[in-house]
Amino acid sequence: MELSDANLQTLTEYLKKTLDPDPAIRRPAEKFLESVEGNQNYPLLLLTLLEKSQDNVIKVCASVTFKNYIKRNWRIVEDEPNKICEADRVAIKANIVHLMLSSPEQIQKQLSDAISIIGREDFPQKWPDLLTEMVNRFQSGDFHVINGVLRTAHSLFKRYRHEFKSNELWTEIKLVLDAFALPLTNLFKATIELCSTHANDASALRILFSSLILISKLFYSLNFQDLPEFFEDNMETWMNNFHTLLTLDNKLLQTDDEEEAGLLELLKSQICDNAALYAQKYDEEFQRYLPRFVTAIWNLLVTTGQEISVLHNAIQFLASVCERPHYKNLFEDQNTLTSICEKVIVPNMEFRAADEEAFEDNSEEYIRRDLEGSDIDTRRRAACDLVRGLCKFFEGPVTGIFSGYVNSMLQEYAKNPSVNWKHKDAAIYLVTSLASKAQTQKHGITQANELVNLTEFFVNHILPDLKSANVNEFPVLKADGIKYIMIFRNQVPKEHLLVSIPLLINHLQAESIVVHTYAAHALERLFTMRGPNNTTLFTAAEIAPFVEILLTNLFKALTLPGSSENEYIMKAIMRSFSLLQEAIIPYIPTLITQLTQKLLAVSKNPSKPHFNHYMFEAICLSIRITCKANPAAVVNFEEALFLVFTEILQNDVQEFIPYVFQVMSLLLETHKNDIPSSYMALFPHLLQPVLWERTGNIPALVRLLQAFLERGSNTIASAAADKIPGLLGVFQKLIASKANDHQGFYLLNSIIEHMPPESVDQYRKQIFILLFQRLQNSKTTKFIKSFLVFINLYCIKYGALALQEIFDSIQPKMFGMVLEKIIIPEIQKVSGNVEKKICAVGITKLLTECPPMMDTEYTKLWTPLLQSLIGLFELPEDDTIPDEEHFIDIEDTPGYQTAFSQLAFAGKKEHDPVGQMVNNPKIHLAQSLHKLSTACPGRVPSMVSTSLNAEALQYLQGYLQAASVTLL
Amino acid sequence: MPSLDAPEERLRKFKYRGKDASLRRQQRMAVSLKLRKAKKDEQTLKRRNITSFCPDTPSEKTAKGVTVSLTLGEIIQGVNSSDPALCFQATQTARKMLSQENNPPLKLVVDAGLIPRMVEFLKSSLYPCLQFEAAWALTNIAAGTSEQTRAVVEGGAIQPLIALLSSPNLAVCEQAVWALGNIAGDGPEFRDKIISSNAIPHLLALISHTLPITFLRNITWTLSNLCRNKNPYPCDAAVKQILPALLHLLQHHDTEVLSDACWALSYLTDSCSKRIGQVVDTGVLPRLVALLNSSELNVLTPSLRTVGNIVTGTDEQTQRAIDTGILNVLPQLLQHNKPSIQKEAAWALSNVAAGPCHHIQQLLAYDVLPPLVAVLKHGDFKVQKEAIWTVANFVMGATLDQLIQLVHSGILEPLVNLLTAPDVKIVLIILDVISFILEAAEKLSEKENVCLLIEELGGIDRIEALQLHENRQISLSALNIIEKHFIEEEESLMLLSQVVDQDCEFINCDCLATK
Repeated sequence: MELSDANLQTLTEYLKKTLDPDPAIRRPAEKFLESVEGNQNYPLLLLTLLEKSQDNVIKVCASVTFKNYIKRNWRIVEDEPNKICEADRVAIKANIVHLMLSSPEQIQKQLSDAISIIGREDFPQKWPDLLTEMVNRFQSGDFHVINGVLRTAHSLFKRYRHEFKSNELWTEIKLVLDAFALPLTNLFKATIELCSTHANDASALRILFSSLILISKLFYSLNFQDLPEFFEDNMETWMNNFHTLLTLDNKLLQTDDEEEAGLLELLKSQICDNAALYAQKYDEEFQRYLPRFVTAIWNLLVTTGQEISVLHNAIQFLASVCERPHYKNLFEDQNTLTSICEKVIVPNMEFRAADEEAFEDNSEEYIRRDLEGSDIDTRRRAACDLVRGLCKFFEGPVTGIFSGYVNSMLQEYAKNPSVNWKHKDAAIYLVTSLASKAQTQKHGITQANELVNLTEFFVNHILPDLKSANVNEFPVLKADGIKYIMIFRNQVPKEHLLVSIPLLINHLQAESIVVHTYAAHALERLFTMRGPNNTTLFTAAEIAPFVEILLTNLFKALTLPGSSENEYIMKAIMRSFSLLQEAIIPYIPTLITQLTQKLLAVSKNPSKPHFNHYMFEAICLSIRITCKANPAAVVNFEEALFLVFTEILQNDVQEFIPYVFQVMSLLLETHKNDIPSSYMALFPHLLQPVLWERTGNIPALVRLLQAFLERGSNTIASAAADKIPGLLGVFQKLIASKANDHQGFYLLNSIIEHMPPESVDQYRKQIFILLFQRLQNSKTTKFIKSFLVFINLYCIKYGALALQEIFDSIQPKMFGMVLEKIIIPEIQKVSGNVEKKICAVGITKLLTECPPMMDTEYTKLWTPLLQSLIGLFELPEDDTIPDEEHFIDIEDTPGYQTAFSQLAFAGKKEHDPVGQMVNNPKIHLAQSLHKLSTACPGRVPSMVSTSLNAEALQYLQGYLQAASVTLL
Repeated sequence: MPSLDAPEERLRKFKYRGKDASLRRQQRMAVSLKLRKAKKDEQTLKRRNITSFCPDTPSEKTAKGVTVSLTLGEIIQGVNSSDPALCFQATQTARKMLSQENNPPLKLVVDAGLIPRMVEFLKSSLYPCLQFEAAWALTNIAAGTSEQTRAVVEGGAIQPLIALLSSPNLAVCEQAVWALGNIAGDGPEFRDKIISSNAIPHLLALISHTLPITFLRNITWTLSNLCRNKNPYPCDAAVKQILPALLHLLQHHDTEVLSDACWALSYLTDSCSKRIGQVVDTGVLPRLVALLNSSELNVLTPSLRTVGNIVTGTDEQTQRAIDTGILNVLPQLLQHNKPSIQKEAAWALSNVAAGPCHHIQQLLAYDVLPPLVAVLKHGDFKVQKEAIWTVANFVMGATLDQLIQLVHSGILEPLVNLLTAPDVKIVLIILDVISFILEAAEKLSEKENVCLLIEELGGIDRIEALQLHENRQISLSALNIIEKHFIEEEESLMLLSQVVDQDCEFINCDCLATK
């Protein structure tokens, strides 16, 4: 591509087309530009356009296109072609700084970004003159240019704040310091002087203060990794000027907008950060400046309009300082404390117009901030943090000062509640901040300030609001009161909580979303509280008087505007079911109707995952509680649910399918007799490959298939034998995956355990071959553990001889290899009680019911196998994982149960396939050995005594004694 | 100014244990660059002699009370004269210029080509005063930049200076010792040149109990410079020669002698475990540990440094240091009023904690945790940093029981607080430590309690905020902790169901049947 007018013209045309709203014109133009961007001179053409084009739109468009081009192509990736030719690279670097600085702001920003992208790759080695070029511009006296340089420098240097120390990084910083630190310092001084010369010129000041902000940010970046020699030597200059700037006030720089930060605030907030950095990292060197900064920042908090970022950083600074014992004296003065409480904390605790707006119109956001602690950048939170920081050293005085404020605010409220309700809100917030020293979601406040009487405040100021007949009056105060109960639930005595339960139930009807949500959440939290003996604090009997109204109001709340999929309410429903148990049975017909209607409605467009999850939990609970009392009722649930389920499956509502399968498993397991035909009709569909392609379905589907095998193995063998290969195909797919192989084993184990042997006879050898292939190709600890459990289950089910024969039929002497290379060395890794028991019983069979173990070349493995079995009984589990497996996700460490996407209340009981056969596996071993020894007298004792180690022998004798048998 | 070895960034050596830990330690070693100003509490590499008067010097004998003032041209003329008196006068004037407190004209004198003549004067044994002035002038030149030191060496000064060690004139002899010290301090090249010129036996021969204390100090300092610097370290033969003398000097009562002898040992032990072994085998440990109780900062600093270096050695060497009682002293030193001492003590402890779990047990037995928690809460940042390393090493090597004790010591509160520290490495280590503790707690079925504790301390908010950190390792680490340990159970079950599809090829369901 030549740098010709014709090419400039063409490029202009295409750039213009990329702005076209019509995709039919826009897309081809974009495609074209992409196709030519590999040509030499392409970037230079763009630079020419952005400098010289007559059309401003084209200029901007060229600059954006250029930046994106740099972003995509500048980095040279190893083993990939260099996408920009060297000559273009050199030309770009030679011109871009000048171009950036002489361009209008819109284009300057794009080019500045491009410079930092290039700088990230090339600076400093491949762009050695960049720094000098930038520093030289400081002399220009043109602050438009200077700010351009500073902005670029900031984007180049800010990574010093978050990268790890390395030789490369520090070499760069050293280079930057050598070239940049002194000119920056001089610029800083000169700029401050100019500020006083232009103290009355608002537009000049704005530019100068933008420079000062950037300079202060650069200071932070350059001082982040360590305190550079230069800045230690020049600390006086920097800190004195920073201090002066902190105390500066200039009306010209203030903004009218309450929420938008003015330049002066931004500068002060950055200076607070700089001071905090020095105070925390370079205390020894900074010590003599610190008290002045504390005072200045104190005063800043007391006097300015308290812009949020200033507030935040100033508080951060004070918090980091006030915890150091040698600065404690700076805070001790009662007057200082009083003025901080009065002028900083109290004003920031006020409920502002913006809070009120959020409470009414954006309640979800309000709840998230207020309830879930996402309030990190709010004024209230900042003030609250300061209270907690001060309380660490000055709890008594601070509590004393605030008690006065709380009382006076409550008096104000009492004078005229409808006008002054915000005073009470602030009072409650203040008490909460003051009293809560430590808090968790699960327990609310866990450590409280003992100087605050929480119960008294509850009785006198919280309860009366909640008792008022009108649930819609003063909604903010209602929400405050409910929140108070919620967070201080562990401090307020139970009898008071019990009193508030009907009040909370009543507030489920409040129109305000915040209020009824808080009421639901508070009930849910109260119902999960634990009393002594780890039972729930509130018993079903204590709640019994309110059951009907509770359930009614909860479901009614779901019909209130804005709460149709309110997760807090649904969680409260679930929790109420769980607490009340049989007490809900009379209401089940209505409840299940309402739940299925809800399910049907939300399945059209599932959008609230938490809500949906709790809804399915509630459905499971209804089934469990009802069918425990009356198993026959399962049919009623099937009637109510299957219609919706079919619709969900037919419409392929992906989010809900795993849940549906789990509920169906629960229903199927509840059946006592043979599998109903309605389920059998579904069976073939469950084997469809498309269902298994979604990972989220797998655990639920396996669980459901297991339920089918458990209840309907005979039906499958007789009526659906043609589906057995499909079933095994699923198994094959699952064990091929490292993440899902344990699921494959769950399925296989169910097949082995429940299917009539003859129905799977023809496939058995192939199953083993598949397992061996996987062992050879990608053996993992998880796979081996599952494999061991499987072969032992097989041994129990089909006999030891069958196991030996099937191994040896695959390849001669294979059985010995499996014993020697897998069972004996790895058995110690098996985890889980049921799994260990299966292995113990299986190995016992191998030892005592397998003739080849007694009289072939396998005999030499007999004692080692016994030894490893005793090890399984007595030694701690071997949970080491080989190095190369650390990167396999641990999240699918297998249990015998499926643990994926699980509904807590759909869970099944642990299943022990050898439970009835063997109670104590050690005794079982002793008895089996005894039996074996009677069959061939003398041999067993000699095998045991010749090569079993002493410790193992002692354990074995213990088992024999316990079983009252001896070896003959 | 010569560039000094700032303690901040000096090379660190760490004992090997486990892949992760060693990786981390190497990274700590990697940066030997400094941004910081050199620290005053380190030993100087080179010193000028700027004594304003020296009553006992041979110069007394001549030109008493007469101040001679010559121009540079006159000095050049003077030193090149054949008249010893003129030579003396010129050399003395040059020496005085080189001894002025501020901006001595080192470059001027070197560029004037005076060095070769001064080296000549060193050999004029008939005129000890001239020898003395020349040695002094060369001492001060050698105290300059590396090039200036090089000019002295290339002028051929080393051999004649060593010859002067046998001079009957004590002042001349002492000045020669000093000059050699400056040359050795320049770096390994000239240090080894002095060593290979066989200076050590002559230096050691000078040591006697009748020697004036200033002289003995000079010898000790010069010896320390002969032990100093790496790449390469001084050779085994030299170390074998010097060690017994150092041991002897370590018994002296003068704090400056003690200080420099300790510095010498600290340089020797800042090396491989073989060299550490050489030092430990001399039986020096009891004396070193006794010196850790010194109230003199200039003795305490280098002896603590030496002990800290020794515990970077093998487990066996560390065991010997423990047996000698370092753990009686280190916890106290964590509470010393100087942050630099606290930092050294914490560093030493971090290396004990990097040992096997029976060393960690010793830390517990000597009650190291309470002062460690205290510095983590209220200490200077550089102390906190070392203390964090101590905790990290402790956690990696501890048994479950030891971890329980660590958590019970209240370690989590300061750890959580430091998650907002302006130091990315420290933040990452703390996240690692927290994650390690949570996993251990899981094994003990104590996870819920530890999680609640962290939440109470405000840890969840902080870890959540770190998920947005610009440093990718930190954000990932924070994300992992939250996902693995802090998502409510009911939620986590649900989130798991939404994991992305694994790349698992689908096998035709019927393939089994067709085979």
